[in-house]
Amino acid sequence: MAAPEDLATPAGPDAVLRALADPHRREIIRLVQGRELPAGQIAGNFSLTQQAVSQHLTVLKRAGLVDERREGTRRLYRFRRDALEPVRELLDEFWPDALERLKEVVERDHPRGSGPNPSRARPRPSRKSTT
Amino acid sequence: MSETTPTPTVVTASVRIAAPPGVVFPYFTSPVLITQWLAERADLDAQPGGVFSIDVRGNPARGTFIEVDPPHRVVFTWGIEGDAGLPPGSSFVEVVLEGDVDDTIVTLTHHGLPEAYRASHQEGWTEFLGVLAKVVPSSPLQG
Repeated sequence: MAAPEDLATPAGPDAVLRALADPHRREIIRLVQGRELPAGQIAGNFSLTQQAVSQHLTVLKRAGLVDERREGTRRLYRFRRDALEPVRELLDEFWPDALERLKEVVERDHPRGSGPNPSRARPRPSRKSTT
Repeated sequence: MSETTPTPTVVTASVRIAAPPGVVFPYFTSPVLITQWLAERADLDAQPGGVFSIDVRGNPARGTFIEVDPPHRVVFTWGIEGDAGLPPGSSFVEVVLEGDVDDTIVTLTHHGLPEAYRASHQEGWTEFLGVLAKVVPSSPLQG
């Protein structure tokens, strides 16, 4: 297993998502998800310059999505599946968090026991007492 | 942890709200109300076939309403514009509101997420990665 010498602290979901928000980078990940490939061979799959592909690989490496291993002058890349863990957790929480927010908003707008919420923009009939 | 725990392709969440279904239901169908809890921008035409278009933390969620049955049930398709992994209309969200005395139990089920959502299946990564790129709001994890 390659030592993740280029990785400091785990990237966190935002960096991972930004890295993934590019179709070329997603395609790179598909290429290296099951096997390690050298940069040149990865680049051969795209009509991009090798430099452009290298830049994408750097973004992926910094997000912790790929491991880079050097073998002589070659750089080899492989997908790191555990890099997606924080994002997977985020996905799992999206709807539960949204419903918690819904609950807060509804209960704020409609507090129990106060009848029609006075802060709602509903015109009140004027009440004039006539004696 | 959990690398071997299968993740379901249907996501379900529920919450109990201290208000009756008639009060809660419009929060799914009114653009003014939905922007208070789910979206920062909304264009909704709450009838079957009507547009369901919201921006969720910058992500353009696009679909159509399939079923609108106030105050019990609303179903709309869901997808992210520009995302090949989860394109508009590719999955659907079913919301059921059940009255319980003066409360509402809201149960939301998101169906049809890509097979790739199963964390333990390597062959699914392709589409899973497409989902991740756009679906998830960029907010810090709670707790």
